[in-house]
Amino acid sequence: MPARELTDPLLEVDSVSIRFGGVQALADVALQVGPNEIVGILGPNGAGKTTLFNCVSGFYSPTRGHVRLFGEDVTEFKPEARAQRGLGRTFQQVGLVRSFTVMENLVVAQHMGVRSNGLASIVGTPAARSEERVLRKRAEDVLDFMGIGDMRDRRIAGLPYGTLKMVEVAAVLATDPSILMLDEPLAGASGEEGSAFCDRVEQMRDELGISIILIEHHVPLVLRTSDYVYVLNLGTPLAEGLPEEIRDNAEVAVAYMGEGASTLA
Amino acid sequence: MTVRPSRLAAFAGILALLLLIPQIVPVLYVNVISRAAVYGILALSMNVLVGYAGQASLGHAAFLGVGAFASGYALSELGMPFGAAVVVAAIVGMVAALVLGGVALRVSGLYLALVTIAFGLFAQETLFNIRFLTGGGAGQVAPRPSLFQGDVAYTYLCLGVLLLVLIFDWRLVASRPGRAIQALRDDERVAASWGINVTGHKLMAFVISGAIAGIGGALFASIEQIVSKEDFGLSLSITFLLMTVVGGAGNRWGVVQGGILFAVLPTILDRTHANFHVFPFTGLTATWEPAIGAILLLLTLTLFPGGIAQQQGALLSWLGGGPFKRDHDAQGAAQGGGMGARP
Repeated sequence: MPARELTDPLLEVDSVSIRFGGVQALADVALQVGPNEIVGILGPNGAGKTTLFNCVSGFYSPTRGHVRLFGEDVTEFKPEARAQRGLGRTFQQVGLVRSFTVMENLVVAQHMGVRSNGLASIVGTPAARSEERVLRKRAEDVLDFMGIGDMRDRRIAGLPYGTLKMVEVAAVLATDPSILMLDEPLAGASGEEGSAFCDRVEQMRDELGISIILIEHHVPLVLRTSDYVYVLNLGTPLAEGLPEEIRDNAEVAVAYMGEGASTLA
Repeated sequence: MTVRPSRLAAFAGILALLLLIPQIVPVLYVNVISRAAVYGILALSMNVLVGYAGQASLGHAAFLGVGAFASGYALSELGMPFGAAVVVAAIVGMVAALVLGGVALRVSGLYLALVTIAFGLFAQETLFNIRFLTGGGAGQVAPRPSLFQGDVAYTYLCLGVLLLVLIFDWRLVASRPGRAIQALRDDERVAASWGINVTGHKLMAFVISGAIAGIGGALFASIEQIVSKEDFGLSLSITFLLMTVVGGAGNRWGVVQGGILFAVLPTILDRTHANFHVFPFTGLTATWEPAIGAILLLLTLTLFPGGIAQQQGALLSWLGGGPFKRDHDAQGAAQGGGMGARP
């Protein structure tokens, strides 16, 4: 299957390889994300999906290859510099500030959006105070969008896992990203919750204009939601294509279900 | 948040107590109150670094020392007014913290603790030996401001500055940089993924901590109006860390009480030893202070990881505008704030 070539990709991963000691975790992985699309990433455990996320968001430095965000080569950039350019991500192990409440998490997540400087913020000038109210209002809006408005004043420690995942997505949404990378957002969610979440992801694409990259083990949901799908296996690209092409790809079926399988799901 | 009359009365009571204490205490011990206020300021300085940013410091006596000597030098050699000397002390404290922070950014955990110890010893053995700055063995003279010449008046000055630092701390925590500093304490990767400049905010925590410690140093120098390098040894740095942990790292009211406790402890031991001629007191002298500190630390780590703040959880929650009830999750947060609780 030939790799697709977008004319103007928002995110471009160009033959990225990374090695940890003797383990080749990623070899020559390429990926493109265009505007207003949901890109699914499939692959069995250990395929390198999260490693790919870490290379894209800057937590790992690839041994070879390039990562380009909005046409700019960010391969050597720190994670915060990539976030400042509009790249948001969630973590497989929930990425939240554990000692804060849900609301406090969403307020600190809007760090980049705050205009008043640190000193004004400490002194508490009228402008800084009114901006503080705007941050809280926006945090409430995002929580409502994610359907967890009632969790506002709860502390992170003590919330169930599935809820934490949704709070985490809300926090990253609050950073106002152009590209949002979701790492197994549905771990700990029921089937119904999964379906509702996928509707929300489509809403993010259609109403908020965000491009989404989705790692998820629930194959039918990924195939249903994604506009384009990449499949990794043992750190190498196995296939890419439209969801229906991936569903009927025999190689993918074998990698997932073992010898003898011919279609996914 | 509405302030109810009962709460207002409680605050008024605390304020009245603070105003009265320097009047009640025998004049011989008024300087102990000044020292308690300075230790409270140092506890808040430690709290920014240890409680909010999750870093370690076993070299904080060095910041106190550079502040004290800078202020003394500015007062007695340059003839600057007291307020200007305090500003000089804060700036020198900041610069010292910037130097330590620049090194400390590259290490964490145990290695950070070692680097801070090395920094403290380095300051004591080199900086504090510069004769024209520190007065050598004779010490550096640091006169009090003319308005606060008396011991009682000077105590009020120290308590006033402690109050100002408390207000600053309250504002810092609610501010954008303050929140970012706490976010990176819990998880640097998450903070970075939200676009927070991790290195910059860690350095900022060092600098704020250094500035507060420098101010504390300026006040410290003028308590006895003379300071020498023996005042700023490793054991003082350890005391600063102890009072922060025993007070409850991450909680401003807790650490200030920890600071006050460790400031008055030697005097209390001394007086009970002199006045009660029955068993435990006959054996307890001021030299027992380190042992008592160690016991308090062990009790804190095993029974109340959140320190004094955890023991007073209900009271502090009520004073802060909440119900008179312990916030169990908040205790977890206070525990997480301590450097020891985090791998």
